[in-house]
Amino acid sequence: MTSPTDIGAALQQDGGEGGAVPEPFGLGSSPLRSDALPKALGIYPYAADLWAEGLLWGAVLRSPHPHARIRGIDTSAALALPGVHAVVTAADLPPGPDGLPDGAPAGPIIADRPVLAAGVVRHHGEPIAAVAADHPDTARLAVGLIAVDYEPLEAVTDPEQAFTAPALHPDGNLFRHLPLRTGDPDAVGEIVVEGLYQVGRQDPAPLGAEAGLAVPRPDGGVELHLSSTDPHGDRDRTAACLGLEPDRVRLVVTGVPGATTDREDLSFQVTLALLALRTGRPVKMTLTREESFHTHTSRHPALLRYRHHADAEGTLVKVEAQILLDGGAYADVSAEALAAATAFSVGPYVCPNVFVDAWAVRTNNPPAGRMRGEGALQACFAYESQMDQLAARVGVDPVEIRRRNAMSTGDPLPTGQAVTCPAPVKALLDAVAAEPLPALPVDDPDAEWLLPGGPGGAGDPSAVRRGIGYAVGMVHMLGAEGEDEVSTATVRVSGDHATVICAAVDAGQGFATLARQIVQTVLGVSEVYIAPADSDQSIAGPSARGRHTWVSGGAVERAALMVRHQLLQPIAANFGMSVELLQIADGKITSYDGVLGMPVAEALEGKELWATAQCRPHPTEPLDESGQGDAFVSISFCAMRAVVDVDIELGAVRVVEMAVAQDVGRALNPRQIEDRIEAGVAQGVGLALMEDLQTTGGLLGNPSLTGYRLPTSLDTPEVRIAALLEERDVVATFGAKAVSAVPAVVAPSAVAAAVRAATGLPVGRLPIRAEDAVTG
Amino acid sequence: MLPASLDEAVDALAAAPAAVPVAGATDLMEAVNAGRLRPAALVGLGRITELRGWRYEDGGTAVLGAGLTHARMDRPDFAALIPALADAARTAGPPQVRNVGTLGGNIVTAAPAGDTLPVLAALEATVTLARAGASREVPVSHLLTGLDPVRPGELLTWVRVPLLHAPQVFLKATGRSGPARATASVALVLDPARRAVRCAVGAVAPVPLRPLEAEAWVAGCIDWDGSREIDPAAGAAFGEYVAAACVPDNYGAEGAWEAVTEGPTAAAVRLRRTVSVLARRALGRALK
Repeated sequence: MTSPTDIGAALQQDGGEGGAVPEPFGLGSSPLRSDALPKALGIYPYAADLWAEGLLWGAVLRSPHPHARIRGIDTSAALALPGVHAVVTAADLPPGPDGLPDGAPAGPIIADRPVLAAGVVRHHGEPIAAVAADHPDTARLAVGLIAVDYEPLEAVTDPEQAFTAPALHPDGNLFRHLPLRTGDPDAVGEIVVEGLYQVGRQDPAPLGAEAGLAVPRPDGGVELHLSSTDPHGDRDRTAACLGLEPDRVRLVVTGVPGATTDREDLSFQVTLALLALRTGRPVKMTLTREESFHTHTSRHPALLRYRHHADAEGTLVKVEAQILLDGGAYADVSAEALAAATAFSVGPYVCPNVFVDAWAVRTNNPPAGRMRGEGALQACFAYESQMDQLAARVGVDPVEIRRRNAMSTGDPLPTGQAVTCPAPVKALLDAVAAEPLPALPVDDPDAEWLLPGGPGGAGDPSAVRRGIGYAVGMVHMLGAEGEDEVSTATVRVSGDHATVICAAVDAGQGFATLARQIVQTVLGVSEVYIAPADSDQSIAGPSARGRHTWVSGGAVERAALMVRHQLLQPIAANFGMSVELLQIADGKITSYDGVLGMPVAEALEGKELWATAQCRPHPTEPLDESGQGDAFVSISFCAMRAVVDVDIELGAVRVVEMAVAQDVGRALNPRQIEDRIEAGVAQGVGLALMEDLQTTGGLLGNPSLTGYRLPTSLDTPEVRIAALLEERDVVATFGAKAVSAVPAVVAPSAVAAAVRAATGLPVGRLPIRAEDAVTG
Repeated sequence: MLPASLDEAVDALAAAPAAVPVAGATDLMEAVNAGRLRPAALVGLGRITELRGWRYEDGGTAVLGAGLTHARMDRPDFAALIPALADAARTAGPPQVRNVGTLGGNIVTAAPAGDTLPVLAALEATVTLARAGASREVPVSHLLTGLDPVRPGELLTWVRVPLLHAPQVFLKATGRSGPARATASVALVLDPARRAVRCAVGAVAPVPLRPLEAEAWVAGCIDWDGSREIDPAAGAAFGEYVAAACVPDNYGAEGAWEAVTEGPTAAAVRLRRTVSVLARRALGRALK
């Protein structure tokens, strides 16, 4: 048998076969991610693999009720169990302002989610108590011995009921109401189309379930080893919940699996830290799959009511909409998701008159939070469904109706903000429309044709209909509405290699690879190490909203440029020329006139140079009471064409192909961009057809990977990249736009459009259930 | 305990009746890891090679080892023998599960959506339950319904399946193209010797259901001596018949045992449509 290292060596040899293929180098090339091979071979150490001498195991007691008052908690039986070292409840956390335990509420925007429930549980699976014991089974057994006296309360699970229901939390049931008013409210169009759209609950379902290790420090602090994607934010919130100074908590980022959202939930890490502090021993906790579904936030389920007015040619006159997001039990980032849903409620189209009311409300459903294009995705499904309806009413092609209304650079959003970044919406549409269509089975009878329902399934060719659908969408990059976006990076060069120290976590978006490429390009050094991220480094912010390419990439570039200046200055002075006349290329420093040609390695010999730099994009402002304001730093766009086969008797759908054209600004690593697009398409197809975390009366119905269906390789379509449009965004670092979120935003709408085309059914709900695609 | 032969295994179980026999462990270990099951002891069946194959008996019966894996049942030699079982095994899960998950395990787990179960029900298979010094034959359906359950110290060793030398079909509806739990499945086998059609519907109830009247009716519509063709309308009627027989009006309703007053529930209508399409297609393929 070949050992993993042999395979690794073999792969590396393949890459260098013939000795003529150089290692990919610098921006614009496509080096492989450094963790790709270990992850594929199963030798990558995840957080669940951590170990410390003498560690204890943590376990959490979760609420079986979606809404209940806690009349009392009796932990004596659990504490009496041999092997149990500590049992903690809300009473062990610092008390609230009134001196009573309040569970140390925390949250990314509003601190309203208790670490451990105090007095009330507001969703199924909410943590109530935690145990540390010398064996995981003992811990689990002890959890079962904690007696909680619940008084079940009526659960509010319908977001429409939240407005009138009694307050579920002292903060009330309304997270945010955002009205948007622009133009003439009395404008009417010749053609009016209306629709009611629903989006279900998609879960990030990270394959690496939450896990971590907390180690107490001699100074009374604690060190957390977790796969966090926001080390500083998580550190600060953890410290605040524990009543510690932030510098007493250190967060070491370890074993991050691919993340499409915030990785850890706060309750998990605060509980872990609390157990370690309480017992004075390292504590490890690994959540089960079911707990993982309970603990992390999901996508906001949404209800959207739309009315589009257009003239006879299909040019938009007015859009009216009501948007309702179910934020679940706690605020999380609902306010931010709502801003995106409202601002992008019309989509990448121009419309002079827009009237939207949007609400995010509290219910007793599981909390919703950040997940690729939160808010923007739900709106995209509604406006693209409306555009399909409009095309049918006007009697033109769905591509044509979109072209007629498409926005270009300089056009205003309904928020009054002018889109100053490149907005090549028409070009994207044309690119996907021009792609050749995949062959029909009749054209290629020899090929093994995968029927809807899969190989060996029940598919019958005579009942299969093919459909083609188009969608365009948009999503903002970086934080919105005045959020301070900043990142810091240090670049150090010593001898022949460089090191990048930056707390930006590579959660699969490829930041580590990008940082290496940046330093290679700027300094001509081929060996670049990326230091592991931890909270002792300077702040880089969370890995979300495509921030790190821009903000941390910008910081790395600036730091590298400063090092470059330090390196070239003495050489330039030596030759009596300015630094600007020297350039670094192919590992050599050359002057404009070719007189100087010095290898970088030689210039660097014996030197140790370093610089730290910060990047902070231009500020934004909050949306005002009529939804107006320059709330976004930049926007990225994407167009897709979906080709689906539908078994119209069973309602089975298979996505045959997705053609994608995306506005990337500049392709810094083309292979990684394609990977991210494929990932976004896979996630989008999942939401469109199968991913649905069901709740009945607030209780989770399918918290397992058998019940919660993720797309498998057979469900993920062929992804055809029609175009990566490179129109530089002048304000962005390298002119590049974030690439991960927008494919996930657009893909579900494209699939829905294609199913609509195949079946002739309206399709107003995501995910599309089998019964939604059965005709007759 | 890791016995090397059937006798050793049966003796081990006799010595420790609370021990749980384990083969592929795809269901068992999941339950153990989740803390739902804490067996006193395990009897590993992995080394009993005789249970991993099959033999023939009296010319008309195949005796399948309980340790036969799904991956093995999917191979062409087995598929030629019992095509419907091979089809069910092929769709039963991802390769990692099919490589270790066994036929016997599928039966004793008795999950409502167990893929081989409707096939075994349609084939009217029987199982051998062995214990120290004795063994008995039980129809699969009796075992699944709990009419005749596995007793302490008994080990499921063999599955007896008639060789019908006629078309057999297994179809399942799932929510995705990749391997997934069935929302409904239909197994249909032809028995030309007895001029019978046997059909079982899986995943719609805790055990596979046999629509006996629908079977008898459709067997009468088939020209057994000729081309075995059937009027498409009769095929469609068969589908409806099967669906109506297997999905009650109050399917999915709360208080499912109460009398229904207002016709079938929406869930029942949807499931019947699925079952009826599956049964019609299964019959169509079997008679093609």
